Amino acid sequence: MDFELNEEHRLIQATVREFAAKEILPVAAELDHNPRYPAEIIASAAALGLLGLTVPEEYGGAGLDGLANVLVQEELARASAGVQAIVTVQNSLVCDPILRFGTAEQKRRYLPRLVGGEWLGCYCLTEPAAGSDAMSLRTRAERRNGEWVLTGQKIFVTNGLEAQLCIVYARTEPVPGARGISAFLVEKSFPGISVGKVEKKLGIKCSSTVEIVLADCRVPAENLLGARGRGGPVALATLDGGRIGIAAQALGIARAALEECVAYASLREQFGQPIKEFQAIQWAVADMATRIDAARLLTYRAAWLRDRGERCTAEAAMAKLVASETAMWAAHRAVQLFGGYGYIQEYPVERFFRDAKITEIYEGTSEVQRLVISRHILGRR
Amino acid sequence: MTGICIIAGALDGKLSRSSLELIGGARMLQGPVGQEVAAVLLGHGPGLAEAAADLHRHGVGRVYRCDHPLLTAGQTDAVLVAGEQVVRRTGPEVVLIAADTVGRELAPRLAYRLRAALATECVELGVEDGAIVVRRQVYGGRALATLVVRTRPAVLSVKPHALDVPQPAPVAGTVEDVSVAIDVGALPTRVREVLREQAELGLEDAQIVIGGGRGLGGPEGFALLAELAKQLGGAVGASRPPTDAGWVPVNWQIGQTGKTIRPALYIAVGISGATQHIAGVTGSRTIVAINRDPEAPIFSIAHLGIVGDYREVVPALIAKVKELKGA
Amino acid sequence: MEIIVCLKQVVDPELPARDFAIDPATRRQVREGRPLVISTYDENALEVALQLKDRVGGKVTALTLGPQGVAGDAIRLALAMGADEAVAVDDPHGVGLLGVEKARVLTAAIRRIGRFDLVLCGCESADWVERVVGPLLAEALAAACVTFVSRIELRNGALLVRRMADEGFHQLEVRLPAVLSVTSDETNRPRLPKVKDIMTARRKPVQVWPMADLSGTSLDGDAPGVEVRDVALPERTARCEFLPGDAAAQVAALTQRLRDLKLL
Repeated sequence: MDFELNEEHRLIQATVREFAAKEILPVAAELDHNPRYPAEIIASAAALGLLGLTVPEEYGGAGLDGLANVLVQEELARASAGVQAIVTVQNSLVCDPILRFGTAEQKRRYLPRLVGGEWLGCYCLTEPAAGSDAMSLRTRAERRNGEWVLTGQKIFVTNGLEAQLCIVYARTEPVPGARGISAFLVEKSFPGISVGKVEKKLGIKCSSTVEIVLADCRVPAENLLGARGRGGPVALATLDGGRIGIAAQALGIARAALEECVAYASLREQFGQPIKEFQAIQWAVADMATRIDAARLLTYRAAWLRDRGERCTAEAAMAKLVASETAMWAAHRAVQLFGGYGYIQEYPVERFFRDAKITEIYEGTSEVQRLVISRHILGRR
Repeated sequence: MTGICIIAGALDGKLSRSSLELIGGARMLQGPVGQEVAAVLLGHGPGLAEAAADLHRHGVGRVYRCDHPLLTAGQTDAVLVAGEQVVRRTGPEVVLIAADTVGRELAPRLAYRLRAALATECVELGVEDGAIVVRRQVYGGRALATLVVRTRPAVLSVKPHALDVPQPAPVAGTVEDVSVAIDVGALPTRVREVLREQAELGLEDAQIVIGGGRGLGGPEGFALLAELAKQLGGAVGASRPPTDAGWVPVNWQIGQTGKTIRPALYIAVGISGATQHIAGVTGSRTIVAINRDPEAPIFSIAHLGIVGDYREVVPALIAKVKELKGA
Repeated sequence: MEIIVCLKQVVDPELPARDFAIDPATRRQVREGRPLVISTYDENALEVALQLKDRVGGKVTALTLGPQGVAGDAIRLALAMGADEAVAVDDPHGVGLLGVEKARVLTAAIRRIGRFDLVLCGCESADWVERVVGPLLAEALAAACVTFVSRIELRNGALLVRRMADEGFHQLEVRLPAVLSVTSDETNRPRLPKVKDIMTARRKPVQVWPMADLSGTSLDGDAPGVEVRDVALPERTARCEFLPGDAAAQVAALTQRLRDLKLL
């Protein structure tokens, strides 16, 4: 078992770390305090090839593996979880399903633009009445005059404000649950799709979270993604990769918390010495480092399985579960370690605390992850 | 082969200060090498007479004066051709060259042509146990290497401002005019333009210098430093990041690649203390560092440290200085 | 344009002070376990080469000298940034060579590479800082020489370079072939490699030449006339006195100390 990263992975990690340090870190706090879409950062990220990491070269991508994606996402999230949220959706929730389930024409039409950063993509699954129970979604798609016509309401769509392309899940068959669902590639320019409410959030503020409204939205027949009625498998396969991306996000946030604590503990003096001399602080740092490393190894393992084409649903769920809970715990611990300064916006740890929370919720809450894992072990009802 | 020869540059029409520093260096080597210190004076124009006189005033008896219209600022190829011709004619054991803009190109190339031993950027010269020993900064100024010069002839370049200009010690000297043949068509490089940058009062001569670094966050921070400099009567410089980013002119750079300074007071503001910057300032008598990060390497060489935001500290300092001056 | 860029791999110059140590046996910095990077200004030289290639076309060859296996990352990065091929001269001695010795080896390697219009290198290496390799290469290769070049322009077939000088800049016209040593400038900040290029770098040709194979580089006969006797850390006697309190208190303390030192 080789735990070493190969030369390419190391170089990719170093490159993205430098990019994040130079272009994202200096503005990360500002992007949170005065949220705006970081257009120039996304453009630079696109130029480096970070928006379609696993997309093959023929469509303009770098053809990297899932492990490289994890490394990139962690480095981006270390600097800004908000920026990384934008990038991970593009990679895992938009490019990936098009790669896996798209026709040659769909890939040719959409991937180069997504990879090049010309178009941003978003993923429309959740509805007001369908969150953890995503497969009960009610947005419907009817066949009419050789087209599909979609009607419904999607919420909590990341990138929804800026995106030009939306992957929308709608019910096409008169059967309940996953078996009645199909996936569609909907361009914002199609008639009948619009952005509704733009949400204000606790964290990851520079990434937009919006409502997408479909009112008799007309979608050409050739924009069905995957086979009709097979939207469930599309969604689930996509979520495996998405969860690994979120696990990597959580790793980045957790590492940011740890690094800030290490720096602070060396500098902050109380009772005549740097606080790193106190056992309580030493143990906190030890716990943080250990749990982060454990989460990292779970994440790498899930990516490795997925790269080999093996089933990884439970492993991806484990990685997401542990990484997100670790990030929340570490960020919380970090605020405490900083004391009063941890509560103040001038210091970054309160932002990590707010950013970390979402990792326990989106792309399947921790409860859902536990459901997935237990089913894998105990079997379905 | 006898004697020590210094290459005295007068490419701007007058004797460079670093040429005088070389005289001090030559004196430190006079022991086993033979007593004679001669100078090869390269330049053009009426200023060369005064330059020769200045060399005599500082104790260099024999001056070989080489006046040629191509011996002007930046014309290293011409300087190399002339220098080689004169040095071969006079045959010294050791050639000292100031490692300024032209000197740092000249020294290795001349050494190659003379098949001479080469040591560059020396900050100390001396004789130990009968051998020539030089010291130079390495690893960004973190360490000092001692080298023994084993063979002759030897070409040694001296870091400008590392040595002091020696006390005048006038001698009745001679000036021998040497004519050199320089085929202008054969020179592979030609200076088209010399652009003098708007520079603050000689950074290298200022007694008080204030340096700004990446921590200033942008060019605006330098306006604050300029105000402080005005109040203290000092000059403003910068570490590498601000010059690389174009916040300030490149020749404001203090450091191994930029200028070496030895002021009485150096105040580093928002400078982390990259080794190559530290290498340019360690000669300062008193170093004050202002930085938000108490772990910044600059504090390892500073005498007085202020951990804080320069945006609060510097205005407070300006106000305090004004108050004390008014008092 | 055929451009050769000499790249040296050094221990990260920004290593924390506690990790910096001199090995008394080799009289050089301890490299074991320390992160290695491409010497600062060599990266700028590579960036200048790549910009020139972007503008006028041609080929950029990365040339390194060092123990094999160690130079790997530097070569990979250079190829990922855009160099077309690489030559790694394997030097089993390790890193004890002085500038004059390195120049001799690099000259032989460049002769073996064949024709070139430009050889670029950093103005000084981040570790030994002799500033000699560029000029020595120019002499050995009978090429034009300019050091501390911050910008290069090709105008009407002539090479125009800007050299950093004590008083400002010199603009020079340079005849090819030339050896230029490069210093940093806002126009030559090294690019980050695209991830795609990091992957395709794997396919670019890398030749490894044992140093002993390069003619004229036997180091036994012609030792440099200078010998390193020792490398020592200077005594750091001063400990920084941190002035306490808020900005007002710190400033009051500072001005008092400066008055005591007769600087105010």
